[in-house]
Amino acid sequence: MSAKDPIDLRQDRREWLKTSATVLGASLLPMPPLTAEASQAATTSLSHPAKTSEAKSNARFFSPAQHALVEELSETIIPADSHSGGAKAAKVADYIDQVLRESFDDNQKALWREGLRLIDVMSQHYHGKSFVNATPEDRIALLTVLSDHVQMTDLPEVRFFVELKRMTVTGYYTSKIGIHDELEYKGNRILKEYVGCDDQGPASS
Amino acid sequence: MAEPEVNLTRKYDAVIIGSGAAGGMAAHVLTSHGLQVLLLEAGKKLPIEQELRSMEWPYDNAHRGFLPPDSHSLSFNEYTIRNPPYGPGFEKSKHLHSYIGSSDYLKNIVVDERDNPFTGTNYAWVRARCLGGKTNIWGRLALRLSDYDFKAKTRDGYGEDWPISYGEIAPYYDKVDLYLGITGVKENLPYLPDSIFQRPTKLNCAEVTLKQGIQKMGRVLTQYRAGVTSDGLKHNKYRSRCYGRGACERKGGCDIHAAFDSPTGLIYPAMDTGNLTLRTNSVAREITVDPQTGKASGVHFVDSQTMKDYKVHARVVIVAASTLESARLLLLSKSRLYPNGLANSSGHVGHNFCEHVMGPGVAGRAKNLVGKPPTLDDGRPGGFYLTRFRNLAEKHPKFIRGYGFEGGSGSAMFPRGTDTHGFGASFKEEVRKNQGAFIGMGAFGEVLSRYENYVELDPVVKDKWGIPSLRFHYKFGDNEHRMAEDMKETAQEMFEAAGFEIVHVSSRVLTEGWSIHELGTARMGNDPKTSVLNQFEQSHDVKNLFVVDGSAFVNASCQNPTWTIMALCWRSCDYLAEELQKGNL
Repeated sequence: MSAKDPIDLRQDRREWLKTSATVLGASLLPMPPLTAEASQAATTSLSHPAKTSEAKSNARFFSPAQHALVEELSETIIPADSHSGGAKAAKVADYIDQVLRESFDDNQKALWREGLRLIDVMSQHYHGKSFVNATPEDRIALLTVLSDHVQMTDLPEVRFFVELKRMTVTGYYTSKIGIHDELEYKGNRILKEYVGCDDQGPASS
Repeated sequence: MAEPEVNLTRKYDAVIIGSGAAGGMAAHVLTSHGLQVLLLEAGKKLPIEQELRSMEWPYDNAHRGFLPPDSHSLSFNEYTIRNPPYGPGFEKSKHLHSYIGSSDYLKNIVVDERDNPFTGTNYAWVRARCLGGKTNIWGRLALRLSDYDFKAKTRDGYGEDWPISYGEIAPYYDKVDLYLGITGVKENLPYLPDSIFQRPTKLNCAEVTLKQGIQKMGRVLTQYRAGVTSDGLKHNKYRSRCYGRGACERKGGCDIHAAFDSPTGLIYPAMDTGNLTLRTNSVAREITVDPQTGKASGVHFVDSQTMKDYKVHARVVIVAASTLESARLLLLSKSRLYPNGLANSSGHVGHNFCEHVMGPGVAGRAKNLVGKPPTLDDGRPGGFYLTRFRNLAEKHPKFIRGYGFEGGSGSAMFPRGTDTHGFGASFKEEVRKNQGAFIGMGAFGEVLSRYENYVELDPVVKDKWGIPSLRFHYKFGDNEHRMAEDMKETAQEMFEAAGFEIVHVSSRVLTEGWSIHELGTARMGNDPKTSVLNQFEQSHDVKNLFVVDGSAFVNASCQNPTWTIMALCWRSCDYLAEELQKGNL
């Protein structure tokens, strides 16, 4: 699969839903129990949540495997680069977990559980691997399929992508890394004098 | 928790209902005349600095500055598809707020919609029941009206002229400027008179580009005229000058009170005179009337916490509960003498309801700023104001009256442009590089005052305190929709003239009420048959009753109303004190 090949998302999803372990029509049911592979991925992941979080793991929304998957998904949305850390360093998955854990919106919770499941079904279909085990290029290719079909809001995986991006963006740009390292935000401090265009040099170089 | 008891057995010189811009100003002026005043506020006295926390970083907030999960604020879509009262359908949320309440810093300031239901047509009614009301969270744009507004009927034939002219109110605008502080730049515009300004904020580079770009079209962009003290106020120990700190764009308020709010600007200094008594948690249900004289005798109110009823007596009653609440209270105050409600022999109470229409606007990028090092654009009380240009010298063929734009640009704590398509490394870089280049503005236009836009009491629905709710009959009309079309077109044409890359043009008209500038439900006028109040905001029918908030407006103009509410109120209260002294009330 290449990001450049045109994808027929509706055609493809019939295929992957057929070949996935779950039966057709179950796509709106909650996430099935963890697969052995996903558990393995979570426990071996270097980016596993800190010990303080583990102590409260009973209260978490995501299972360890789901948490690892959300970390990789959010990092694919906003990756680390030479300028600053990405969503993983900014602990965006912890933020999303908190929002969902506290949420009163059962539809939102169901969308996340279903969306994470569909991501792995899609990843198996296109790449023969779970998302966590796929290469960075394959991960990008998979999310590109969804990003290119954002108008198909009837599909739960598309709605999930929109929600994933929205919450990753919110979590990242309200984090220390997002505000200070990435955007180098200059405000929220006491000034002697207002600054304006004159103080900052002409607009054009 | 019960209120500390105030003496309700004595007869006050004046009782004021409401502690926002109008009630605070009435308290200031009347106590400075030596009157003994009781101020009633329906809401609590909040520990406001703890609520606002203007410099809190999102990552230090339990919910990144958003509402806690047990609370919900209504969205544009919800206002569009649902009808008031807005309680049903949101059972999962413990608290339900108007759209503005989508922030952790406002959750205790704006009311819970369920406790305060209303019915009728859709309306984004923002109410703040706490000491100071909406002045705790206002947008701070402090503009004067001119004779283009006061004498608008003379100019275009529509509606009514105000019973005052600019010359009569100008000295009171000056008093408000000096007492409360305002920043801005003199422009010498006949349709938007200058204030006595303190040190102005500065425009940033994209804003300068726009200002220059529209000059050739004869249009004017000026620094945001903010009701903020930038130089400090020697006579007020409760307010600091503006230090350009804090993310002023955030939905919240100013916890050092550089931005005007009624408690620190007006009420605390009034209490220091020893002439003001304050009772919060006091929900007025009726203005009582002396059946012998026909005059107002006081206020019947319920304690919002204990539900106990009280009555208090005063020589003068001043209604300042906000435009719609004041109309509601007059309509609630029915008696044998006044079967249609108090001060309502004209039948105009609740009618001629007007405001500002908003929504259309434009967002763009200054291409020469893309990829530049991050700039400091935040912390200013506001960006810019682009003044009215329609129906001044030339008559527009499609609509009467005018509109102005509020806008800003540059870096914000939360970057603009995250709705950019895509994801990944290129998305991240694009957001970073564009963050300082964004510029946007939205229009505020005059909604015509029309008798058929009105509120009345709902025959069935009551609020938490058993007081009948308002029923709305209010819709934007053709003039507003034609004006909104023009707003969108001129916004785009001006961004094009400035050479900006246009990212988004919006023609969407937001729900009625969105501007939070509701006005006109007890208008002033010289004719008691077609108006509720005279030029001193005094009831034509009941001489010792004054209504000093936005309900007195004859039309909405397109300028933000707070400064005019306070200037009118100051003038009216000077008159009131004089008349009281003469024994005429």
